[in-house]
Amino acid sequence: MRIVTIALAAALAPLWAQEIKLPASLEKLAAKAEDTVDIRLDGTMLRLAGRFLSDKDGDEAAAKKLLAGLQSITVRSFQFAREGEYSTADVDEVRAQVKAAPWSRIVGVTSKRDGDNVDVYFKDGGNGQLGGILLICAEPRELTIVSIAGTLDPAQLADLGGQFGIPRLDVDLSVLGRKGAK
Amino acid sequence: MSSRLLGVFLIASSAAFAADGEFDYVVKAIEHYYGVKRTHIPLMGVANFALKVAHPGGASGFHLAIFEDLRSSSDYSDQLELDRFMDGVTLRGLSPMVRTHSRRSGESTYIFAGEAGKSTEMMIVTFEPNQATVIEVKVDFQTLLRTINHPEGAGKLFMGSRDE
Repeated sequence: MRIVTIALAAALAPLWAQEIKLPASLEKLAAKAEDTVDIRLDGTMLRLAGRFLSDKDGDEAAAKKLLAGLQSITVRSFQFAREGEYSTADVDEVRAQVKAAPWSRIVGVTSKRDGDNVDVYFKDGGNGQLGGILLICAEPRELTIVSIAGTLDPAQLADLGGQFGIPRLDVDLSVLGRKGAK
Repeated sequence: MSSRLLGVFLIASSAAFAADGEFDYVVKAIEHYYGVKRTHIPLMGVANFALKVAHPGGASGFHLAIFEDLRSSSDYSDQLELDRFMDGVTLRGLSPMVRTHSRRSGESTYIFAGEAGKSTEMMIVTFEPNQATVIEVKVDFQTLLRTINHPEGAGKLFMGSRDE
């Protein structure tokens, strides 16, 4: 039984570690966009960044701890000159990847006034940890998709905002009922 | 176009055995691909010495190459073509990290980074409407982070705006 469990875990491990794939259709938006930003930080880069952070300095130590668990950060952002240059269908292929467990949509904010739409999806990493985050910020003239793969504490999510091209999230994670969430 | 790409890949393969480093490899790739020569920068040695003394942004080991009159190359302003060209540029020990395009300003920036002892080696390749710039520099983590957060100003951080 134990061997079966280990074999099953080994078989599922690649799926667990799987990152969100940004579809090729999304790249077509680059042709319409005024500005595009593409940031890809793989595990090597993140570990490298972590090496330069101090274990003693409070903020740096926290950032170092945060980076240690991450496998990759991908940020894809498009800014358009006009509204209506992209549609929800352009993002559907990304959303389809997080429809089922272990993913769940945690935050969904839609502003009818501004047309802003923010969706945050968490991947359950077990033991109260996150296994990944997908963030979709859809504004009338701007679309940003952030994919974070790796293990992190939900409370650390706020620390990532404003870093590595990740937009600041003004979301109160205490609504998730997680200890220590900001 | 395919022969030019082949040329870049040949340079890439020969660069793998060359000892002149990643900076020279990128410079040669641009020269070959766009049929241009880097502009001679007077007093570059003095600037490098000043950088060693002042360490702006924690920088050291600064290399700079500027290419002018690139507009004469018909596909220079095609961002997809730039991506294809830069995708063919494989650098030992440096990973592609950031890529930005601005149709508004006509600028494209590619940033590569990798480990360099106690600091980070960073390669910034910027294509502007009429010129391209290649910068290789060793930076501290804070500068690397600042560059990731504001990639569009990465080149100007180290060489200042030439328009000013």
